[in-house]
Amino acid sequence: MAANTEALNKAWKTIVDFLSPGGRPILEVSFPEIQFQSAVDILVQNGIVNIIEDWFFENVQRDIRQRVAPNFWNYYTSTACQGASEWSDNLLKAVQFLHQVSEEYKPSLQRLESISSGTHPKNSLQTFCGVQKLSDVLITLFKAIIFAQVPNGYQEGLDHFYSEAFKVFNDTNSDNKGGGNEEVERQCDGCGENTEVCRCAQIMDRFHTVNRLLDEVGILEEVSGTSATALVHEKIQQHVEAQCKGRFETSFLESLENWLDTKVLGWLNLIYTGNRTHIGADCISSFRGRLQHFLYKTYAQVQINEFFKIIIDFPESAPAVQDLKACLEKTDMRAQLISTLRSSIETRLLHPGVNTSDILTAYISAIRALRVLDPAGVILELVCDPVRKYLRCRDDTVRCIVSSLTDDGSSELLDELIKGQPLVLDESGHSDDEDEDWEKWNPDPVDADPATASKSRRASDIISMLVNIYGSKELFVNEYRTLLADRILTNFNYEIGREIRYLEHLKLRFGESQLHYCEVMLKDVADSKRINARIKEEKAQRNEQDVVEVNSMILSAQFWPAFREEKITLPEEMQKLLEAYTKKFEALKGNRTLQWKSHLGLMNIDIELKDRTINFKVSPVHAAIIMQFQEKNKWTVEELSKTLQMPATALRRKIAYWQSQGLLKEESNDTFVLVEDHRGHTHDYLMTEDDETESAMASTQAQKEEEYQIYWSYIVGMLTNLESLPIERIHSMLRMFTMQGASTMECTIQELKQFLDRKVKEQQLMYSGGVYRLPK
Amino acid sequence: MASQNFDPTTSSGVRRKENTGTSNPSNNHSVSKRLQQELMTLLTSGDPGISAFPDGDNLFSWIATVDGPKGTVYEDLRYKLSLDFPSGYPYQAPTVKFINPCYHPNVDQHGNICLDILKEKWSALYDVRTILLSLQSLLGEPNIDSPLNSHAADLWSNQEEYKKVLLTKYEKEVRIKQNS
Repeated sequence: MAANTEALNKAWKTIVDFLSPGGRPILEVSFPEIQFQSAVDILVQNGIVNIIEDWFFENVQRDIRQRVAPNFWNYYTSTACQGASEWSDNLLKAVQFLHQVSEEYKPSLQRLESISSGTHPKNSLQTFCGVQKLSDVLITLFKAIIFAQVPNGYQEGLDHFYSEAFKVFNDTNSDNKGGGNEEVERQCDGCGENTEVCRCAQIMDRFHTVNRLLDEVGILEEVSGTSATALVHEKIQQHVEAQCKGRFETSFLESLENWLDTKVLGWLNLIYTGNRTHIGADCISSFRGRLQHFLYKTYAQVQINEFFKIIIDFPESAPAVQDLKACLEKTDMRAQLISTLRSSIETRLLHPGVNTSDILTAYISAIRALRVLDPAGVILELVCDPVRKYLRCRDDTVRCIVSSLTDDGSSELLDELIKGQPLVLDESGHSDDEDEDWEKWNPDPVDADPATASKSRRASDIISMLVNIYGSKELFVNEYRTLLADRILTNFNYEIGREIRYLEHLKLRFGESQLHYCEVMLKDVADSKRINARIKEEKAQRNEQDVVEVNSMILSAQFWPAFREEKITLPEEMQKLLEAYTKKFEALKGNRTLQWKSHLGLMNIDIELKDRTINFKVSPVHAAIIMQFQEKNKWTVEELSKTLQMPATALRRKIAYWQSQGLLKEESNDTFVLVEDHRGHTHDYLMTEDDETESAMASTQAQKEEEYQIYWSYIVGMLTNLESLPIERIHSMLRMFTMQGASTMECTIQELKQFLDRKVKEQQLMYSGGVYRLPK
Repeated sequence: MASQNFDPTTSSGVRRKENTGTSNPSNNHSVSKRLQQELMTLLTSGDPGISAFPDGDNLFSWIATVDGPKGTVYEDLRYKLSLDFPSGYPYQAPTVKFINPCYHPNVDQHGNICLDILKEKWSALYDVRTILLSLQSLLGEPNIDSPLNSHAADLWSNQEEYKKVLLTKYEKEVRIKQNS
């Protein structure tokens, strides 16, 4: 028994000598391997071979904790306040030290490995941390013990180390080297040092060494992982921002992916592949997928933040939209896009400072851009909802749309019009039998509103979208009619070829019946032209010569919009001419006569002053005013208004025109004189010609007023008979009992309240205890 | 006259009391339309002293206001009436009644009115406006020969006395209620 113990002790001592980790140097190199093997055998015979392992790792742990870790960290802490470059050098030294330690352990580990694989199956090994290989156990210990406590600045230093290497790598691998940058004091792009002392090679060298050593130790990923990933992400972000921000005219996806593959992955390969022992090559390729996703996401983020701008320059920014579309397919950023875009539209577009026409332009390009982005139209619907709501509350929206439809300037909408699909309105029912290819069918996106038919969303074109702001064709057609009337009555050139063309396009859209009135209007113009020619011909035959040539525009009152009324008495000469014309017309068209709207019209007049003659094309009212100054040079507003039978306020506005032309001057209050000599246009030039833009048609305000008059008679009726009513009842009764035809407009309860309050103020109504009643 | 009272859409007349419109809906719709039209004409024509409006949400039941004609004993008196339109309107006459008690030879104590155009002489050519105008003139020119209120009929010849009674009754039966 004692001999046995003796042998055991001896064997144990041998094993300890052999396996002792680096603390003391292994001097006894001469020990033959057999001696170790026999010592192990003895332990095996006694059945305690597994304690070797336990003992060994306990020793290693103690060694690492007491010696290796402090030494390792000492490299950093001792030079904590030094520059980055020194830090990197220290990193190298520390890693070298670690590598050396690891190397020291290696022979012992090999021996241990041979024992366990030779003597007994793996059961004991599995007990330790669940790791298969003994070398892995060592790595785990390194990681656990050394990196359990990390000193300040370590991570930052590491980050710097890697980013420096990345920069150098990026620089040395970039293709656009050389060229025109051969200046004397050129800095090396890689290391930021002067070219003569470029440290690029040195940095790269150190970088490679550190990586190789760390890998050999087996803790490359542990050390570099965080830094490298963070760095790569940061670099991607920087690159995307630098490359793509604010540039929408080119597609970046391909070049970005290319960049990712060559630069970023190239660099990662440099770290992690190239006969590395501990990391498989496949980890890079799997990481590539994630990086790609990150790239897409970053790119999408950049573009989403700029998407409002993208929309504004849409046709030019189409590549950006296409890119974003590709990104959205790969990332989950739809919701973000929608909310960002919505808020940027609200802050940048939908406020009183923006012209309606600008909002419309933006809306139109939004429709186009978002159609490309999302053919199903759901994003469009969600994003543009506030725009539509906002446009609805602007007075001049319809006018803007219609005028941009028919103006020469903006061809976009006109092109759209010429495409000429019949109008798809919201209310039109949809059929479920889709005639398109069922194989290409896609469901609506999840954020679609299930209430609206997907077909209507997909199909509706820009004009339908615009018309749908209000949801009724009538409003548009009416507005078009007013604009048309305006144009005809301001131009007076009888040239309607262009208008007919538009009308035909519009008819395709809105249908014949809607535009019948407009057709009649255009026909009126053509008829007028003919009648004018007839009358002129007759006159020529009878050799009559008028002082002024009169041409008329004969309008069928039924079909034209309501005209703005204005009282004016024309000078006698003019009046006579008109009467003569009427006579001729009556002769020509039996049973019919003319009612002159003398405030509408255009006069071509020459004003002969002392030193010059000026030609003007003005309205009859303007002409009548200036004609008065033929008789005498000075008029007061009062006199003028008496002669012309015009209200003084209206008169003053008209006089302002002549003031702005420098022909009239307000000598003293309410007294105007003719300015005969030309003394420059400086005086009174501030006058604006606002009434030049005044429409010939009755304003919507006036029409509304008229409708309120009808409402008022209803209100009087109900209050006479039902004594007193709260406003809600009045409102509902008005809605119920007024004829549909009589009032086309919707009167909201707020509007009604304003109206009733006004009546209360005028003492035509009494309000007490929440009910309205008529005064007794 | 009778031919105008023949409704081309419904062969059998619907009784007046069924004024909520149980007959076919399209017919009902045209009646509503006509009533809306009449309301509009009445309110926009602005005849002095007569007015009417649907009572609540029902277009078939109206309340009317008639002022006594000037220069008669009824001057300055204001009466309320109810008009109930049958679904066969205008081929059948509406039922017209005074809501306020009205002291008048041709009005009984329940407010029923004896007026030929509301009974046998009804024509589809009449409308609310003409009914109210007729009623207004009936106030000043009662038909003494077929009285519903013989007391009033007897007193009519003595206008001064009549006015006294009328005013006392109006004060007692109408104005007090209005003010309450």
